Amino acid sequence: MRRLTLALAVLGALLLAVFGANARGGQDARAAKEPVTISFWVPFTARELGVINSALAGFHKKYPWITVKSTGNTNPTKLTAAIRGGNAPDAVALFETDTLGAFCSSGAWLDLSSHIKSDKLNMNIFPKTIQNYTAYENKRCALPLLADAYGFYYNKAMLAKAGLKGPPKTLAQLSAYAKRLTVKNADGSIKVLGFNPLMNWYQNSPVHFGPITGATWMKDGKSNLAGDPNWAALLRWQKSLVDWFGYENLIKWQAKAGDEWTSSNAFESGKLAMNLDGEWRTAFVKADAPNISYGTAPHPVSKPSLYGSGFVIGSIMGIPKGSDHEDEAWLLLKYLSTDSKAVTGLSLGLRNVPSTLPTLRNPVLRKDPQFKVFLDIFANPKSSTQPVLKIGAQNQTLFSTFISKWQAGHVASKDLHAGLANVDKQIDAAIGQSGQVP
Amino acid sequence: MTSAPVAGALPAAVVRDRRRAKRKAAWRRRGLVLLLMSPWLVGFTVFFAYPLVMSAYLSFTHYDLLSAPKWVGTANYRYLFEQDQQVWPAVKNTLWLMVVFVPAQVLCAFGLATMLTRARYGAGVFRTIFYLPALAPTVAATLGFVYLLNPGTGPVNVVLEHLGIPTPLWFDSPQWAKPSLVLLGLWGIGTMMIIFLAALIDVPRHLYESASLDGANAWQRMRWVTLPSISPVILFAVVIGVIDSLQYFTQAYVAAAIASGQAASEGPTSAGYPEDSTLFYPVLLYLQAFSYFNMGYASAMTMLLLVVALTVTVLILRSSRLWVFYAGARR
Amino acid sequence: MTTVEAAAAEARTLERRKPPARYRRRQFLIAVADHSLLIAVSLMFLAPFAFIALTSLMTNQQALSPRLWPEPFQWGNYVDVFRTAPLWRYALNTMLYAGLATVGVLVSSIPVAYALSRLRWRGRDTVFVLVLVALILPFQVTVIPVYVLFAKLHLVGSLWPLILPNFLGDAFSIFLLRQFFLTIPEEYADAARVDGCGEIRILCTVFLRLAKPAIAAVALFEFLFCFNDFFGPLLYTSENADNWTLSLGLAQFRTIYQVEWNLTMAATLILMAPVILLFFLAQRAFVEGVTLTGVKG
Repeated sequence: MRRLTLALAVLGALLLAVFGANARGGQDARAAKEPVTISFWVPFTARELGVINSALAGFHKKYPWITVKSTGNTNPTKLTAAIRGGNAPDAVALFETDTLGAFCSSGAWLDLSSHIKSDKLNMNIFPKTIQNYTAYENKRCALPLLADAYGFYYNKAMLAKAGLKGPPKTLAQLSAYAKRLTVKNADGSIKVLGFNPLMNWYQNSPVHFGPITGATWMKDGKSNLAGDPNWAALLRWQKSLVDWFGYENLIKWQAKAGDEWTSSNAFESGKLAMNLDGEWRTAFVKADAPNISYGTAPHPVSKPSLYGSGFVIGSIMGIPKGSDHEDEAWLLLKYLSTDSKAVTGLSLGLRNVPSTLPTLRNPVLRKDPQFKVFLDIFANPKSSTQPVLKIGAQNQTLFSTFISKWQAGHVASKDLHAGLANVDKQIDAAIGQSGQVP
Repeated sequence: MTSAPVAGALPAAVVRDRRRAKRKAAWRRRGLVLLLMSPWLVGFTVFFAYPLVMSAYLSFTHYDLLSAPKWVGTANYRYLFEQDQQVWPAVKNTLWLMVVFVPAQVLCAFGLATMLTRARYGAGVFRTIFYLPALAPTVAATLGFVYLLNPGTGPVNVVLEHLGIPTPLWFDSPQWAKPSLVLLGLWGIGTMMIIFLAALIDVPRHLYESASLDGANAWQRMRWVTLPSISPVILFAVVIGVIDSLQYFTQAYVAAAIASGQAASEGPTSAGYPEDSTLFYPVLLYLQAFSYFNMGYASAMTMLLLVVALTVTVLILRSSRLWVFYAGARR
Repeated sequence: MTTVEAAAAEARTLERRKPPARYRRRQFLIAVADHSLLIAVSLMFLAPFAFIALTSLMTNQQALSPRLWPEPFQWGNYVDVFRTAPLWRYALNTMLYAGLATVGVLVSSIPVAYALSRLRWRGRDTVFVLVLVALILPFQVTVIPVYVLFAKLHLVGSLWPLILPNFLGDAFSIFLLRQFFLTIPEEYADAARVDGCGEIRILCTVFLRLAKPAIAAVALFEFLFCFNDFFGPLLYTSENADNWTLSLGLAQFRTIYQVEWNLTMAATLILMAPVILLFFLAQRAFVEGVTLTGVKG
């Protein structure tokens, strides 16, 4: 009699284990589960962090046993240190894709391919550019958390006052407008700047400016700065404008320009008439300087065929090595990148470009005319992103150092090609030293 | 103390006991020394000897802390000496510090201390004023100076403009960035000044008196009495200055980050701003090790730094035999 | 009276005999020149403090403009600083780090210095040379493997990597204390030995009391070093804002807290204040300590 009871108990336990496992192994199973808390590091702060938290509340509603604890203000340095120190969070988001190459190739971020396959997630829900910047050499280690597109902001009031119609569309027009819109002080220093051609300030960087001349970074695994004539064209245009203003005058103006992320931002406080910036600036202007009359447009370009395109990138999310709750983290990533409600809500709150093609076409997001411009830039097939390298953004840093010498006049005009070739050499050496196979 | 036993005066047992007692005492003393030295022994091994050996080993590997170190032979050194174009500017900048900043520090500290010795009234007040900036935490002082030397709105340039003097771009100019750092360093010269002051006061007065009696004027007194007398302190200041310049990091890193005003303030995008002029060797080392996590390559850089540090220190100490005069007890 | 003033007083007494008027006039002019120079240089040294203080009282727009004098005085900035950034938490972390490190250094370095100076044993001089070598080599030489070690121990992100090594001896403190112990005459120790004290009791009772100025100096230096340390916290705690120290917090001030120059300058002054206050309270210890390093160095 006792043995029978025992056998029944064992059989019952086995059945429970089998069926219980099935319930657990299901996709969006709502069966009774152990409540679990996962940590999610995000780069957002203040207002934007609040938006993320409301999206996380939506996630909790859909998966009630998972609580997400978010921590803001993370950046690649912090995350790298945490992963190496063994204190990595369960899931993480970053503003830039610079470190994806290093993380993916070394296993610091887990390869998500198995999850993508088992959940049957179709990657074509994301535009091609997103697919490009979330993978490193066929290993997909990241999913997008919204996206960013870079465009052109211009102060409508200042343009109207100078009698200029509409935003400039070509680089030549941009130069002309910049000169017309600049207002000088009595002592000759710049009071209001039309456009700042100096690189390495606010969002002015070679990676953001590359697409306006259609320049590309790599060709066949090697750095292509000297090989692609568009870079030289960009730099020469930029230098001519720098020389017109005077390099020292620009530096002095920059020193007074105010912090990019505060209300004394040069564009928001009326010190700058036109600026290259990302789509998130619309939210900042609305919060900090709602009285400014401004317009957005695609950035002026060197060739009319390029007009409408721009630099696109996005925040990315991944699961660091050492994450204790990989499956729950995957659910979170999937939710924040593909769930239409979540993506739309995040896009509205953060004023970032949504990551999936269906949501890009959502009329709710297209209502704001200034924001709509960026959606179109993002969808434009000529828009491009930066290459994912194991050396991360070191190629950009090396190029920026060269440009800072170039724009200060320490590189002669005839030496530009040689200088670019030298930067190529440095970048290729760095790539070789990092062990990345081209 | 035990006296030598007179032949046959002490029984063998006593001698044996005494020897055993001595051995026990010796062992007790060794135990005591070991106990007292134990913190240092552990600390030195774990935090100095082992890392030194480990650094040497890592310099021959490719290591990013995530997977095991991968042996690459001399590849890191080849990259260091032949291919990394940031190394030579970094070395030049650090050498500049040693050659310009160290003498400037010594001169300034000596000069201020001399001025203080000539102060009849309120010497204590002046000494306090000169010493106060040395107390300011490095980061705070750096931030303050970057603001003060802001090329557009900083008080210094505002005043200079009023006086009609051409205003340099200070931390935003590659030519003036390092001199700006020197100014920052000289502002905090108080500690070294106090040391020089103590040394100057210690110079025996009778030396000055006999020199004056022999007809020496102020310059000659300084050349032949003061300088030799304080030469040990000058040596100390030079060695400390050189060691500091080989480790110079915080001011350069923070100043570049703040002056460049970029969105991602600290980190690889701003170190060395402007145009690598503030890229000192320790800054580059930090970037390679902790921003790019090229720990193997960074270890190779470390080895080079080690060799240079040892060489320079030995050279200075050797040369000191020529110009340092130790009054009284020889070291 | 300080030593400087004592020397000056002595100089004055030597000239009590009234020298000729022309000589006196020359001396007077020289004194005026000396003091004018001193005053001028003092103003240059004080100017940065003044400008920082003035800027800390401006509005942000004024801080970005060429104006030198705030109008109106924004005393509220100092309150804003504490509201915007968790300065109290940073201060707590800094105190924790500096306090524990100082204790650790004293506890571990005093015995070592004693063993190196008052006891004779084989290898003593070699060990002292090793201490000097550790002092001379740039710290970057050992920083990478030590970081790897702490990473493997999962301590990166906390203050422990900064605090723990100090409990295992600090080269500078050992050096300073040893030099000072060398100057204490053997008679004190002999007297205690005659009374039957063991070496450790000698150390505790006799030397600790005699070496108080040196110990105070060591404690002061260590505390200041930790208070000002930037590289250590940058390396080990930058990923975890809860553990930032004041130096690190201040350096991050502008971007993270979207703070303006005026608040940054207020924070700068707040950071400088405690050290300067400590100086005025412990002036003698400071000066003696600094002198010790140089003269005995």
